[in-house]
Amino acid sequence: MGERSELPPPTGGGSESLRLSELATGRPARLHAGDLDPGEACLLQAMGLVTGSRLVVRVTGDPCIVEVRTTRIGLARSVAERLHVVVDRSPERR
Amino acid sequence: MTLLSPAPRAAAAARPRRILLLGNPNTGKTTLFNRLCGLRAKTANFPGTTTDLRRGRMQIAAADGGSAALEVVDLPGLYSLELDLPESRVAAEALAAADGVAPAAAIVVVDATNLNRHLMLVGELAPRAVPFVVALNMIDLARRRGLTFDLGRMARALGAPVIAVAARSGEGVDGLIGALADVLSGAAPRGVPDLPPAGDESLEAWAERVVVASVGGVHAVGGESDTVLDRLDETFTHPFLGLVIFHAVMAVLFWTIFALATVPMDLIEAVFANLGSFLEGHLPAGAVRDMLVGGLIGGVSGTVVFLPQICLLFFLITLLEDTGYLARAAFVMDRLLYRFGLPGYAFVPLLSSHACAIPGILSTRLIPDRHDRFATILVAPFMSCSARLPVYVLLTSFLFPGSPALAGLAFTGCYLLGAVAAMGSAFLARRTLLPGKSRPMVLELPTYKWPSLRVAFANALEQGWAFLTTAGTVIVALSFVMWWLSAYPKATPPAEVTALAARAEALVARAPAEAAELGAEAERLTLRHQQETSFAGRLGRGVEPVFAPLGYDWRLSIGVLTSFAAREVFVSTLAVLVGAPEADDGAGVLERIQSATRDDGTPLLTTATAVSLLVFFVLAMQCVSTLVTVRRETRSWRWPLLQFAWMSGLAWVGAFVAYQGLGWLGVA
Repeated sequence: MGERSELPPPTGGGSESLRLSELATGRPARLHAGDLDPGEACLLQAMGLVTGSRLVVRVTGDPCIVEVRTTRIGLARSVAERLHVVVDRSPERR
Repeated sequence: MTLLSPAPRAAAAARPRRILLLGNPNTGKTTLFNRLCGLRAKTANFPGTTTDLRRGRMQIAAADGGSAALEVVDLPGLYSLELDLPESRVAAEALAAADGVAPAAAIVVVDATNLNRHLMLVGELAPRAVPFVVALNMIDLARRRGLTFDLGRMARALGAPVIAVAARSGEGVDGLIGALADVLSGAAPRGVPDLPPAGDESLEAWAERVVVASVGGVHAVGGESDTVLDRLDETFTHPFLGLVIFHAVMAVLFWTIFALATVPMDLIEAVFANLGSFLEGHLPAGAVRDMLVGGLIGGVSGTVVFLPQICLLFFLITLLEDTGYLARAAFVMDRLLYRFGLPGYAFVPLLSSHACAIPGILSTRLIPDRHDRFATILVAPFMSCSARLPVYVLLTSFLFPGSPALAGLAFTGCYLLGAVAAMGSAFLARRTLLPGKSRPMVLELPTYKWPSLRVAFANALEQGWAFLTTAGTVIVALSFVMWWLSAYPKATPPAEVTALAARAEALVARAPAEAAELGAEAERLTLRHQQETSFAGRLGRGVEPVFAPLGYDWRLSIGVLTSFAAREVFVSTLAVLVGAPEADDGAGVLERIQSATRDDGTPLLTTATAVSLLVFFVLAMQCVSTLVTVRRETRSWRWPLLQFAWMSGLAWVGAFVAYQGLGWLGVA
């Protein structure tokens, strides 16, 4: 896989971090950190999944399907297990 | 000076000005391309790269009231111009005129239902010198979701005209062409975009600001759960249900191809059979007539007859892709592929290889890991390509005459056998030559939508034409060669055959029925003697011992041998070798091959030989163009030679087991 690329730590918050693969369906969260190789991090970034992005898990399992704004992204379980999120309790922005 | 003033237009007469079409994946970019260029599109290698790009021509109103031609280049879908990914590099090179042709303008296609992310690409393009128009596509879908747009405000923020379009229905396309003409002529001066300092995160914030300022509607930012969509995604990607659905979809696809293609295929066969009869009846006997009927008509009919199936295959695959289902299927396949050491990214190259291994192998460039990529390249030719279709049709319709359902099932079986061989070979390769684990899958899932018949039709036509012009020319050329090899040197019939013909002649007046029977027998023996003593006969007999354990006689052996250049040649070679149709029998090329006999009078094809041939053609590496492509992509002869030896060896062993196994079971 080559060198690892860690997403920077979250700004503010203080909520408990959990793996994306453990997040319940329909529960909004923000991307917090990840242990990805540079290629994976680059691709996720291009798809709009960056640190602080608000996301919702639509389908759990393998693949884990998340929605970032109106984009649905399918992630193999092994990727979802390496992404950490914090539950977002703020009201959804319009 | 306006951009479309007479002087530059005169220069453009030699080379039309270039318009780049770019956008994120799944924005409907290709649909818009087809709208702009009609069916005049063609794929070509972009200078400086070997990535397939689509090019087309469109007409646009010029400043003097006339019209000017433009070249439209459909760039691959990309997320960003800045990423170290092949599609990003191709787009950046095209914008920077790396091939010496500077683009006159660009059309950036953005998805109106997903603006935040798509506007980031606009933000990357805005500081560059190329003027552009933004096509706000899928406006109909956005309206249905309750979104409203202030296009003027958005245009001011982006520094470029923004036109709402629905490429599928054609709504707004005229307005887009008008805006493009204004940009090209200078009638619409370029604005100054309200851009933040460079950097992805600030660009994201900028995109959000533009959206908040110019888009209204309850779902403008963020979305709510869509139960139907969630359930569909869950079902289609389910470990068990997803696999069942995938196989059911593929089985229906091939059954449909088989069932629907019969009518046009019969029609084409009848046309060529009648044409052959017509020429035989009207041309004087001799080498020219034999060459036209045996070589040209035989070869061309052996090619054109498969056009309906190839067009149907591409039509249905394009429809399926357009629905959004295939991206879900990729995840189902990822779980399967991963076990055999292939990445989920290999799904698209492997699926493309069902049309032709060459674009499939080229598309492996999108696989980031070298070992993942080489493993995919090695096994891609196992996927049943369109060149194998003629052989599959010939043999499955022989095995199951009058039963499209069983023939379709056998067809699916051929595809499955190829896929199984590919997986097994990948498994071996990843444990020996290309060690390591494959990269896990990350993929954007497009919105489900009704497929566009127009796009599917355009793609089917394009691929059908490509088959005719590339494979067809090779087939016709080899058909001529095969006809010559089978027709020369001219042999004198043996004495007993001459005596038989003389007896038939003598009986014409007294017993016409018996005379006709004897005459036909004499003609058959003459033709057989000619074929046996011809160059083709000698060549076939030379290689026959290699293929005899697989159940092939000299005709089948030479058919297999010639098809190592290109698989499609097999049917046309046999069509030539089994001889021209009788003037009045009206039999099609497939029927003639299926009813042909060997030198000893036994059928050319039996159940066992047909199965053996099917296995051989599923597994063998019989395409010189693919081998050359593999050499180019891997920069070594090691891989194509290994591929050739492995696949052909496996094919021989597989066909041997099938033939001998069926013989052992008593199936002749």
